[in-house]
Amino acid sequence: MKKTIADNKKWLLGFFICLIVAIIFPQVVRIQFVWNLLSLIMVWAVVGMGWNVIGGYCGQVSNGHSLFYGIGAYTVAVTCKYWQISPWISIWIGALISACLAFVMGKPLLRLKGHVFAISTMALAECGRIIFINWAWIGGATGIYIFTKGVNEWAYMQFKNPLNYYYVFLIFVVAILLIIKALDKSKFFYYLRTIKGNEMAAESVGIDVAKYKIRAYMMSAAIVSIGGSLYAQFLLYIDPSTLMTLNISMMIVLTAVMGGVGTVEGPILGAIVLTTISEYSRVYLGQYGGLDLILYGALVILIVLFIPGGILSIFSKWFEKRKEVAKSKG
Amino acid sequence: MSIFLQAVYEGIINGSALALVAMGIALVWGVMGILSFSQGEFLMVAMFAAFYLNVYLGLDPIAALPFCMAIMFCIGYVIYKLIIARALKGPILGQRLITFALSMVLVNMALLFFGGEFRIVQDVAIQGSIDLGMIIVAKNKLVPFVISMCVAAFMFWFLNKTRAGKAIRATSMNKTAAGLVGIDSEKAYAMAFGLSAAIAGAAGCALTYYYYIYPSVGSNFQLFGFIAVVMGGFGSIPGALLGGLIMGLADSLTGVYFSPSFKYVGICVAFLLIVQFKPKGLFGGK
Repeated sequence: MKKTIADNKKWLLGFFICLIVAIIFPQVVRIQFVWNLLSLIMVWAVVGMGWNVIGGYCGQVSNGHSLFYGIGAYTVAVTCKYWQISPWISIWIGALISACLAFVMGKPLLRLKGHVFAISTMALAECGRIIFINWAWIGGATGIYIFTKGVNEWAYMQFKNPLNYYYVFLIFVVAILLIIKALDKSKFFYYLRTIKGNEMAAESVGIDVAKYKIRAYMMSAAIVSIGGSLYAQFLLYIDPSTLMTLNISMMIVLTAVMGGVGTVEGPILGAIVLTTISEYSRVYLGQYGGLDLILYGALVILIVLFIPGGILSIFSKWFEKRKEVAKSKG
Repeated sequence: MSIFLQAVYEGIINGSALALVAMGIALVWGVMGILSFSQGEFLMVAMFAAFYLNVYLGLDPIAALPFCMAIMFCIGYVIYKLIIARALKGPILGQRLITFALSMVLVNMALLFFGGEFRIVQDVAIQGSIDLGMIIVAKNKLVPFVISMCVAAFMFWFLNKTRAGKAIRATSMNKTAAGLVGIDSEKAYAMAFGLSAAIAGAAGCALTYYYYIYPSVGSNFQLFGFIAVVMGGFGSIPGALLGGLIMGLADSLTGVYFSPSFKYVGICVAFLLIVQFKPKGLFGGK
């Protein structure tokens, strides 16, 4: 324990500074819109980190993670509506369901490679969307309201004050970030990186490729599902056409890619940048039907074209330069 | 029996448009290895072009076809030069995301400039229907089919017989070797991307004969276009054509005999099964 702390002294220092800023920031900027924005950023950070496990570390680019996002959201909604189960419990049920589905579907899907894997995950997510649209018990195409009158705000995670959402989500983000940071230097993640680098080589040095791919897929599905549950609690109303479209799948990928694929902090950075762009452009340009999404798409093209390594790569390049300067001086 | 024949007929008609979209996707995939998410939107842009050519110049979609293809070729060529050429130097994932962002931009531009209403081309030149006893053949639906087959034949001729087409195929087989024998691979890529947009344009133009025109129409063809390409064998253009027709048939037959609301589930499950047992597609061999 001491050793790991000593090894990551710089990272931990940065982490605590960012955490303190994240806690204090909404107390300084007391604007309802900013609070909502921050909560959404947290949701996308969770989802992006989840996708990053399979897409970033393991290199299996799934374009169908909206399925797990939807499952997470629907689990909390349905269990709350029919059995009044608190989301604090049902979030984990949703994650479990997603992980099980990932386990079952992972075996056939993960044998496929490249574009075909991406198309197959898209097809799977499309199946999920159509089933959810036609399933009357869970609201069908009209969706479900989660909001329940006269319940304890904290027990049912239904806050009137958006700031509470933000702090609750922040706990989830911090927890997942720490888990991924802890795993970052573990055998498991090194295996995944090897699989990403060269599957044949990984197999030849004795890594059970299929097993670790499935584990990564399950972990990724569970985390994305948690993100979906949080989003459902935040909106308190969900329907398949806002949660389970191809656009959501692609935005999940974008979040991770923008920040930096296969990095610990990348998806959080990506979530901050992308959600800020999309929310502000929606508010200021949303009335000119579609202009906000034109701007969003154009910015995405520009960022991906000119910063192919993600936003994090700018910082790391800057750090490296500083190190080199320090070395040449010393 | 007559229901079956009718379903087959409708399936082939829808499949022919899908086949053209799939051919465009297969061309881009085969030549430069990009999974293009903007192919469906090229189709949509061409539909709007055909619609406005009809409204302002009174051109029938058949007459507008060469214009639509030319416009789409230019748009594709410019997009390649401005965006895709640069993206090809980056990671594969980035390329895919760029085509996705491009499709987002195109859909919302259409929404901004043309509005979200459903439109249809009034008074097309060929109308009415032929009663064949067993099935009723709507003439206006026959037009897209004939056009699609002609465009597909033209594509095969172009890729196999002309110099530019051979250059594209050579580049897709081996970029370095093609460069060594003096083929400008950059030009071949740009041609291929422009061509794929032009094929989608032809499909869109033909579809205006009976299909509604609205900004997000392309998404109906996107996923199935991908599936058709995989079924036909990656990047193989004849395979994509067949794959598209099969997808159209599967679409209408499952709609009639299985369930209209769950038919896409049926298709996706069938696709996942086929990919398991024939990962190189139905016609890909071993």
